[in-house]
Amino acid sequence: MSKTYNRFGNESHQGEKPKSMLDQLDEGFEGWKSGGGKTAWKWCKRVVYGLAGIVLLTSSVYIVGPDEEGVIRRFGKYDRTTKSGLQFKLPFVEKLDKPKVTEVKKEEFGFRTLKPGKVSKYDERGDYTKESLMLTGDKAMVDLEFIVQYKIKDAKDCLFNVRDVRGTLRDVSEAAMRQVVGDKGIDDALTTGKIEVQEEVQKHLQEILDYYKTGLHVVTVRLQDVDPPQEVKDAFIDVNNAKQNKAESVNNAWEAYNNVIPKVTGEAEQRIKEAEAYAVKRVNEAKGDANKFLAVWEEYKKAKDVTEKRIKLEAMEEILQKVDKMYIIDSKEQGLLKLFDLNKGQIVSDKEVRK
Amino acid sequence: MKIKTMITSLAIGIAGLIGINSTLYTVDETNQAVITQMGKPIRVVKQAGLYAKTPLIQSVHYFDKRYLEYGDVPRETTTADKTMLEIDNYALWKITDPLKFMQTVRTENGAQTRLDDVIFSLIRTSVGKNNLIEIVRNSNKPLKTTELTLEGGEVTAEEVKTGREKIMNYITEECNKATQEYGVEVKDVRMMRAEYVKENKLNVFKRMKAERNRIAAKYRSEGEGEKLRILGTKEKEEKRILSEAYKKSKEIEGKADAEATKIYAEAFQKDPELYNLLRTLEFYKKTLGDKSTLVLSTDSEYFRLLTEKGKVK
Repeated sequence: MSKTYNRFGNESHQGEKPKSMLDQLDEGFEGWKSGGGKTAWKWCKRVVYGLAGIVLLTSSVYIVGPDEEGVIRRFGKYDRTTKSGLQFKLPFVEKLDKPKVTEVKKEEFGFRTLKPGKVSKYDERGDYTKESLMLTGDKAMVDLEFIVQYKIKDAKDCLFNVRDVRGTLRDVSEAAMRQVVGDKGIDDALTTGKIEVQEEVQKHLQEILDYYKTGLHVVTVRLQDVDPPQEVKDAFIDVNNAKQNKAESVNNAWEAYNNVIPKVTGEAEQRIKEAEAYAVKRVNEAKGDANKFLAVWEEYKKAKDVTEKRIKLEAMEEILQKVDKMYIIDSKEQGLLKLFDLNKGQIVSDKEVRK
Repeated sequence: MKIKTMITSLAIGIAGLIGINSTLYTVDETNQAVITQMGKPIRVVKQAGLYAKTPLIQSVHYFDKRYLEYGDVPRETTTADKTMLEIDNYALWKITDPLKFMQTVRTENGAQTRLDDVIFSLIRTSVGKNNLIEIVRNSNKPLKTTELTLEGGEVTAEEVKTGREKIMNYITEECNKATQEYGVEVKDVRMMRAEYVKENKLNVFKRMKAERNRIAAKYRSEGEGEKLRILGTKEKEEKRILSEAYKKSKEIEGKADAEATKIYAEAFQKDPELYNLLRTLEFYKKTLGDKSTLVLSTDSEYFRLLTEKGKVK
């Protein structure tokens, strides 16, 4: 018996037609299908059908969330926009986008919030002054941080008109802000003009975005920290100090004023009252003296000599009681004056007394 | 089913898919396409949708249909009044003629470099023709507050003739003329940032500081002035009040004195002799006190009795 080898090196017997590999596989497969692998084959088929079903279902049914819109493209061409809820589409040929149309997005310029919250954390290391440093109308510079809040107002426009929507929004925001601030003085931008700036930028920004058909709506533009550049901050602070100094000077001056004027007003009134008091006293005393004189005169008229004598004696009595020393000298004595030390006391000659 | 049939049908299926795939093509809303046949462009598809072509010999080249961004590194340029500025601009452009685009610049990158050349040279010439104020400002709206705080300041008087918006519109227009041949439309060129270069910045800071110092000095001297004014008023008021009081009090006293004098005169005139007597005695009483030494003669009226016989007169 001669042996032959087929090209696979398997031993085969002459007279038998060599089976091809496919046929062998086929036989094995058929045998497996009808024999021991019967249940496995069944499961295989189930899994395949199941998978096909799942793929079909997931590519034809979709849910649009309450904050979304569904935009359907059929063969790449815009077909329809669907509202939130359970929706259907043709599998494979229709493509779905679900932009979040109610969500308000925020872009920050000149700073970055790392973690928003009650006490937000900001990126301290990054230098974003390039975004916030700008020229004002008086050729000065201001460091103006701001945010832009926006949302999608037309999902179709937003998806199909501009490639880099966010980048464009950022560029336009910076351009618009600079154009507006370029027409304001630095003091305006730093103080009273802030609200005006916000409103003008929002209007201008929206105009440009509409002109580009971005489908975006600017919700708000808000200025955050607006400061003079770091390098000149001190000078600006000094202006505030100067304002305080001015107020202080004025207050000090008023203090000095108030220390004196009310007091002086009182003093003036006191003087006047004193004068009035003097006047009353003077007049009353004069009246009193006059009346006394008149009363004395009434009686004096009646007995002139006696009264005169009496008055004189009474006066002498009074005087002589008071005086320290008294010398009574005989009128015949002469040259007595030398006995007295003239510096010690008054010497009144009786001539005057006699008057 | 035999494995043979399975494999055959799979092969036919795949061949069919390849056939369909090379015949049918879709153009997306965001795209446009140029169809070429053996390298030769035969048509342009701008409308999105499903299309067919001859397989193998025709091929599809896609181009973006949306507005595309153009960004540039900031570059330095000088204004007519010799201020060096670092200008950063953006532009929005789109491919309007994909065929021309394909023939001239081929790719977006190719277009970007052309745009770069055109836009930068336009900005350089436009900025060079204008003063700084034209680039910064847009209108002649008065800059309220600065003028108030810097009264008499000559800082803001410059007049704007063109303004930023017009300059940028001009650049956009010119840019469009230059880029038409590339099948490109430039929607808008805008200046984002225009910043002083470093050396200029220092000078500007110096100027800003000087401005602030000037304002601060004004506040301080206003404060001092006000203070002196108040102190002056204080001094004046004080003197006025006191002198008025003095005047008034003297008038009152004078009037009282006059009245008293009148009263005295009226009374004493009735008997001047008696008045003389009484007043002289009063004078003695007051002037002769306990320190006085009195020398009297026995000649005197009161002591005559001591030496004389007789009665007191």
